[in-house]
Amino acid sequence: MTDLVNTLTVSASGMQAQADRLRLVSENIANADTPGYRRKMTAFEEVVLGGARTGEVRSGPVQLDPTEQRRIHDPSHPLADASGHYDGSNVDLVVELADAREAQRSYEANLRMFDQARQMTRGLLDLLRR
Amino acid sequence: MFDQIEILRMAGHRADHAAQRQVLVAQNVANADTPGYRARDLPSFSETFRAGADTALRQTRPGHMDGAMGPGQFRAVEVGGQAAPNGNTVSLETEMLRSVDIKRGHDRALAVYRASLDVLRSALGRPR
Repeated sequence: MTDLVNTLTVSASGMQAQADRLRLVSENIANADTPGYRRKMTAFEEVVLGGARTGEVRSGPVQLDPTEQRRIHDPSHPLADASGHYDGSNVDLVVELADAREAQRSYEANLRMFDQARQMTRGLLDLLRR
Repeated sequence: MFDQIEILRMAGHRADHAAQRQVLVAQNVANADTPGYRARDLPSFSETFRAGADTALRQTRPGHMDGAMGPGQFRAVEVGGQAAPNGNTVSLETEMLRSVDIKRGHDRALAVYRASLDVLRSALGRPR
């Protein structure tokens, strides 16, 4: 029974991590046209408590994508330099959409595990309820 | 009290095995995007149940590092598999298959347990 409760915690941590990731994706998409914006990303890591693996996951520190920003030619833009260019963002919408899909898929997988653990718990409790 | 009845004990262990396996599968799924994570699973119940703890090293106090598990505890092993470029070996599809397998095993164990309890109740002369 404690194992199944443990499952719920682990799955919840997975959903939380995927939700964090999706938030970063939406921040990136919202700022796709912000001049000078760098794409944010995060790597997941396993939670280790007191040297023991808990199996839970969390999203690591936010990192900025070091890829070069797009140079956009628009002499009328307030940020344009002498050559008429300014730095756009380095967000690639296609990459962000793919990332969002992947986050959704993983989120649903975690949700299924959560649901199944609940069903198994219910099955156990039904034994007592007769 | 119920531990003395072999079929209840076995069904209990089977349910326990399913529950512990479910934890591992949930961990695998939660870490499906963690770089360097290696998927883990339990050996099948029939393998571990018959092997028993008699011949293996036994963990007699909690501080022991890697004694054999007591009855009803199982040791997780890493499963191989194609690693993604980031070193992760979790495949969501395989994990889904495993979880279905676990659910069926767990349901079966509970069904056996319930049927055995019914037999006990009938023996005591109570209505089911």
